[in-house]
Amino acid sequence: MTEVDALGADPRDQAVRDEISEFIEENFLYMRLDHVLQPSDDLMALALLDSLGFVELVEEVQDRYGLEVQDVEITEENFGSVNAIVAFVGRKRAR
Amino acid sequence: MCGIGGIVRPDRAATVDVSSLRRMASTLRHRGPDGFGLATGPGAGFVSTRLAIFDIAGGWQPISAEGGGLIVYNGEVYNHPELRADLARDGITTGTLTDTEVVLRLLERDGLAALDRLNGQFAFAWWQPRERRLTLVRDRFGVRPLHYAFAADGSLVFASEAKGLFASGEIAAEPDLVGIDDVFTLWGARAPRSPFRNVHQLRAGSLLVWESGRVVAERTWWRPQYAPADPGSSPEELDELMRDSVRLRLRADVPVGTYLSGGLDSSLITALAQDASEHELRTFSVAFRDALFDERIHQEEVAAELGTRHHVLEIDEADIAGAFCDVVYHAETPLIRTAPVPLYLLARATREHGITVIATGEGADELFWGYDLFKELVLRGQAERDESALDRLNELYPYLGGPGARRGPAWRRFFAQAGAADDPLFSHQTRAAATGAVKDFYRDEVAVELLAEDSMERLRADLPESFGRWSALERAAYVELRTLLEPYLLAAQGDRVAMAHGVEGRYPFLDHRVFELSVRLPEERKLDAELHDKIALRELAATVLPSTVARRPKQPYRAPEVASFFAGDSPEWVEQALSPVALRATGLFDERRVEGLVRRCRAGRATGLREGMALVGILSTQVWYEHFCGAGSGDYVAETGEPKVFIDLDVESALERV
Repeated sequence: MTEVDALGADPRDQAVRDEISEFIEENFLYMRLDHVLQPSDDLMALALLDSLGFVELVEEVQDRYGLEVQDVEITEENFGSVNAIVAFVGRKRAR
Repeated sequence: MCGIGGIVRPDRAATVDVSSLRRMASTLRHRGPDGFGLATGPGAGFVSTRLAIFDIAGGWQPISAEGGGLIVYNGEVYNHPELRADLARDGITTGTLTDTEVVLRLLERDGLAALDRLNGQFAFAWWQPRERRLTLVRDRFGVRPLHYAFAADGSLVFASEAKGLFASGEIAAEPDLVGIDDVFTLWGARAPRSPFRNVHQLRAGSLLVWESGRVVAERTWWRPQYAPADPGSSPEELDELMRDSVRLRLRADVPVGTYLSGGLDSSLITALAQDASEHELRTFSVAFRDALFDERIHQEEVAAELGTRHHVLEIDEADIAGAFCDVVYHAETPLIRTAPVPLYLLARATREHGITVIATGEGADELFWGYDLFKELVLRGQAERDESALDRLNELYPYLGGPGARRGPAWRRFFAQAGAADDPLFSHQTRAAATGAVKDFYRDEVAVELLAEDSMERLRADLPESFGRWSALERAAYVELRTLLEPYLLAAQGDRVAMAHGVEGRYPFLDHRVFELSVRLPEERKLDAELHDKIALRELAATVLPSTVARRPKQPYRAPEVASFFAGDSPEWVEQALSPVALRATGLFDERRVEGLVRRCRAGRATGLREGMALVGILSTQVWYEHFCGAGSGDYVAETGEPKVFIDLDVESALERV
């Protein structure tokens, strides 16, 4: 059972958002100096990550949150932005 | 084995200064520590530095012939005794016992058709003064290097190494962005490009003819061909041929040793060399203090089994940092790996033990499909029918440390989506994608300039006509020969680091007859659908080595990267090379991005493949630029000693000054 606050948001979502944003900033954005990461940024379209960086990001999500990610789940919808990752982690936790 | 160089001018009345030749000699002296020779004539000058291997006392170069021709030559033609006997049947005798003179006489008798009969590794320049014709030739696989450039007055300047061109005073060293981008795509600048602007490398298996100021011919005299008309070969044939190739490569008037990595290929070469050698064989290995890279248990097992006199050089991160700048100087290129450094140190140790000729296992993985790249290609092909084939990708590239080692669905997706299956370079898309991490650090204006110069696109345009008729694995093997073996493994990690210490590498797998046999082997005798690799080679190895060695899976040779420069206090030169001032001077990498990388390296957070390559790529580029293009880099000193040979072509007589 997931706890939710008065607005219906899982407080853990913000933690995931902060952690993933920090991971991306620390690992990749030192190469994109003038970019301020927004949770809705399309990570691949904006070339914030290359294909090998994407591997690192997905595996970080798996490791950090102890999730089993299936091949079919490696999609833009689930990993295309920080918000997408937050939602994906939330859905996986809810199962 | 030697260093060679020369200058030929369009105008025979123009002079070539001996001082230019002496500077070239000095700069190439590491390739030929035993002595040097010069030749001058109307509008021409030549230089040779010699590592004496055949006819120690009499084989000084340049060598001229009665017909007026002259040769400067680097390398070995192993079948020279048989070719000399063939010349003798025509009444042609040689004054020396060298392969060099045999090659010159053959060229004078048969012209360039003689090349087909040469079994070996060589780069040479043949001067025909009456025609004012210079012919530059390079061996089939590009084992020996040859660079050339054109001066403002149309003179052609050539040298074994690019630094020889710069030392001549005729050619300026400037970075070539496209050549450098090749390195950060496929590990090496692909001939005829080099990392230097307007400096060309003669392609492997090709020749160039210059006459009185014009290039009149440039052609390939040998190229790898696949899809043979007569496939099939027997195990006995491979056994016989490998033994013969090793036997030929033990020919020398000095002792020959082997490098022993502990893997299949070098163990097999060592076993065959031990069988063929009349002397106690000396073997040499690199061991790493860091167990992640160390293979000494396997090396010692093979050495003990074969009874060789074994030498081990143990190195650590500090050794790599300590020799890195020297290695970049000798390699003359940015690098994306530190792996050439241990081999540079091993060559030094080998020479200290009195060995100047070394046989190694280079080439086996390209001929018999040992690399994971080939297995990856099989799996990506199988996945088009059954996606579960991709699960086995987790078994590949086990050495990739850091985040990539966690191997999940994203790892498989990286391979599965790396490129279109109908792309001729399908096999190399993942390597290009991974290596391209270095390019993220380019300054914006450099990235913009390179937009129109895609390295992979240029390679596609340069593929041979028959490429499309080859199988997927054959196509991959061809690209490996041209992009990994020739510009990187045989050059930066081969010739340059060994010749830095006057040590000659010999490669029994790169006998062209072995290549042709490997092509005739059915594909499943090289790599089968179950990913068993180098099958025919392993069966041969099992006849001369313990089965544990014959079956041992490949451990790719690697060396520590980030830790070499940041494990403790960084050496001062690292800090300087990566400083904003130095980065701005080179003008290739964005100093703020590099600062971020350096911060992560210092904090021990740069643990992945991507950042390891980026650091080595950036650092080596900085060192390379400083060596060759930085302030004071044009100061080359002249050789002041007495030449062993001085030929004055003007009076068409040779005067030997010993």
